[in-house]
Amino acid sequence: MTIVLQQVINGVVLGSLYVLVALGLTLVYGVLVQINFAHADVVTLGAFSAYFFIHGAGGGYVASIAVAFAVGAALGWLMNAAIFAPLRERGNELLPLIATIGVSVMLENAMLAVFGPIPYAFDSPLSNDVIRFAGTFITLQNVLIIAVSVATIALLYAFMKFTFLGKALRAVSQDRETAGLMGIDPDRLVMLTFVIASALAGMAGAMLGPVLVLTPFAGTSVIVKAFAIVIIGGFGNVEGTILAGLMVGLIESYTTQYLGPGMIDIVVFALLLVMLAVRPTGLIAEKREENV
Amino acid sequence: MSSLDAAQPARVLVTRRLAFLAAVVAIALLPLVFTDTYWRTNLIVCAINVMLAIGLDFVLGYAGQLNLGQSAFYGLGAYASTLLIMRLGVPFWIAFAAAVAFAGAAGIVLSLFAMRLRGHYLAVASLGFAVITYQVLLNWISLTQGPLGIYAIPPPPALALPGLPAIGFRNLANLFYLVAGCALLSYALLDQLIRSPIGEALTAIREDEVSAAALGINGAAWKVFAFGVGSAVAGAAGCFYAAFVGTLVPDAFFITESFTILAMVVVGGMGTLIGPVWGAILLTLLPEVLRGIGDLRLVVYGAALTLVVLFMPGGIAQAARLVLARLRPERQPELLR
Amino acid sequence: MSAVLAADQPAPAASLLLRAEGLSKNFGGVRAVRDISLSVPAGAIFAVIGPNGAGKSTLLNLLSGIFRPDAGTVTFGGVDLTPLPAHRRARHGIARTFQKIRLFRHLTALDNVVAGFHIHCRIPAWQYVVHGAAFRKNHARCREEAARLLAFMGLERRLHVEAGALSYGERRMLEIARALATAPRLLMVDEPAAGLNAAEVEALLERLQMLRRQGLTILIVEHNMDLVMTVADRVLVIDYGQHLFEGPPAAVQAHPGVIAAYLGGAAQ
Repeated sequence: MTIVLQQVINGVVLGSLYVLVALGLTLVYGVLVQINFAHADVVTLGAFSAYFFIHGAGGGYVASIAVAFAVGAALGWLMNAAIFAPLRERGNELLPLIATIGVSVMLENAMLAVFGPIPYAFDSPLSNDVIRFAGTFITLQNVLIIAVSVATIALLYAFMKFTFLGKALRAVSQDRETAGLMGIDPDRLVMLTFVIASALAGMAGAMLGPVLVLTPFAGTSVIVKAFAIVIIGGFGNVEGTILAGLMVGLIESYTTQYLGPGMIDIVVFALLLVMLAVRPTGLIAEKREENV
Repeated sequence: MSSLDAAQPARVLVTRRLAFLAAVVAIALLPLVFTDTYWRTNLIVCAINVMLAIGLDFVLGYAGQLNLGQSAFYGLGAYASTLLIMRLGVPFWIAFAAAVAFAGAAGIVLSLFAMRLRGHYLAVASLGFAVITYQVLLNWISLTQGPLGIYAIPPPPALALPGLPAIGFRNLANLFYLVAGCALLSYALLDQLIRSPIGEALTAIREDEVSAAALGINGAAWKVFAFGVGSAVAGAAGCFYAAFVGTLVPDAFFITESFTILAMVVVGGMGTLIGPVWGAILLTLLPEVLRGIGDLRLVVYGAALTLVVLFMPGGIAQAARLVLARLRPERQPELLR
Repeated sequence: MSAVLAADQPAPAASLLLRAEGLSKNFGGVRAVRDISLSVPAGAIFAVIGPNGAGKSTLLNLLSGIFRPDAGTVTFGGVDLTPLPAHRRARHGIARTFQKIRLFRHLTALDNVVAGFHIHCRIPAWQYVVHGAAFRKNHARCREEAARLLAFMGLERRLHVEAGALSYGERRMLEIARALATAPRLLMVDEPAAGLNAAEVEALLERLQMLRRQGLTILIVEHNMDLVMTVADRVLVIDYGQHLFEGPPAAVQAHPGVIAAYLGGAAQ
């Protein structure tokens, strides 16, 4: 029983981090109908900037999370301005996707050249303190992760549902032209979305740093699962993404325990492919048939 | 790109045949110009990459499907043929045929899965497929020996033609002729398909699948076909890779390989068949020419890919068209297909 | 939102080419099409009219196979088409154009029309790879036919222009030429006159009538009543996704329910 509870805790911790990353992807897809492959690298860069803030500038851990948030936001703004905005008029679905693949490859390998392949030991001061209850243990780091993630997700959810900006975002994702006609500037909203999405990713990176192996490819291992989550949850669907993220976190936790870590990717992706075959629009499906 | 009026086709046909002849001559001469092992190795890698690139181009540039799983088909071809040869003693060319068929079948399976998916979903599904394949190759130790790899893979058996001395393929020049010859054959095959009603159907599907369906064109069926062909070609490339390199490790088929092939196709020009050939050659040889950048090879690929998409989405082929249009404003070169 | 008022005037029994019975389609709560039936006689020009939002395009999408109906059937030349997807229906002889023009923008006008010949291409499979005599003959024939169709639609000077570079009116004509390439028995045109000037509309209607004289059955969706009255043999009026009236044009014009629908008066 305690093992089960431990797995659940681990799963929720992982899951909440995946949700943070996946939410960024799904938000961008919602407004732009585009996948940003470079999202992963924002996570990695967030982790590295947190690391260097602590070890290079002597900052505190919690502050480094804020730094990573800011770095992520800046990157998001940059990616939108440099890639998505210019390509928007072209009307080709695939080109922006391909461009982000290019950016991702470029960033990862540039980081590899600068930071090297050897993992950085990103120790959070909270990793060592442990709370025990009901026969399980949970590190303070994990508590922080859950707390920050839950708070962020709740804030984001409230933002989307209740504020004007949030509603405007949803309007743009459903019908860009009309939203524009209603006085909402779609371009600025898209930029805002990117900034939020990347800020979340950067923040997730700072919290993932101590949990994962920190190399230039740290983001890749997460992104691939984040894609799976976004698809399972439904592109552009915030509730679905949250559900799916937690689910994947739990799956990973159990798979590691019972099948071994090598099987994680296979299990998650097999699930993904099954989802795609059976219900491509996601768990909480939104059928969108369009008149032609 | 405008097609030509009735007066042109004869001239176009001659130009195409001349170009083909030029390619044959170039292939014949290259190993004679580059006689050292280092460059001959590069040429063979080029030929393999050309096959991978045109295979992807058929699916991406013509059928309009962003297939990120090319690395998987490449790897499946390599491992299938190698295991058949080394574990079951199957003769090379039979193993080759079986591996090509296997890779093609895998492509068809992926395509059937992804049949209802739009661009992004397909891209992610194919990426997922590539990840799973890599993980399987890595973890199924009893079959593939995982990261330790398979060693001492023999090159293709010597060809004994009547009246001539046997052509051995430990000789890199001969091996290059073999691989480049296959690449040329694959190119010719794809080119013929593209110029046929099949190519017209694929282009129609890429441009607008809905109205293509209104014309009776079965989008799903042709996409599956394109996938099968594109992955079969990748499988063939994999067979040659294994026989050429002699050792097989899963890392050669990591998903980065898919991105590299994508870069070759896009940089070369995905709206044409010849473009990716140039893209493959350029991106294979460039890092060797610019010795200093060795480790930054992938950074260059990524940058090239991004810049091309932003500023010259038709790649080298588009650039060449623009240059030729400046030089000869009255004639549009139909050659650049 | 009137139900069927005065009795429809039924179509003459002689050879009904297209029959739809009880078609319904919902989009997540919005009932776009509710229990619509129609009968299109062979060789006729049959118009479907109704105000904006009446469900005309949805109906057309149901007939051509883009949507599966939630209820109802579509029969064409005696064959039940209901389970068939769009591309199979084209092979039975239904062609269509789209309200928002859907052309292959990067292909020339000629290549666009050539694509329409695809389904009638009969060459042995191996000739896709090695282009033998049958292939070359087919290739040449397709292009000649395509040029002829384009000339018929008034585009003889624009054969080698990219579709995206054509004027709006030219693109409309091209779409029809391409649909004709499939050698259909029924051509369905969706709001063909939208965006055309008077001269272009005139040219379009002239060609539709010529096609009808050649034996083609035409179904035309329009919301401009005047235009349709000059050309149609039978008219179906729909509103709010429902069948309002079906009959000859003269009867339609006098129908109070139709007038109410278009002018917004109270219907009984």
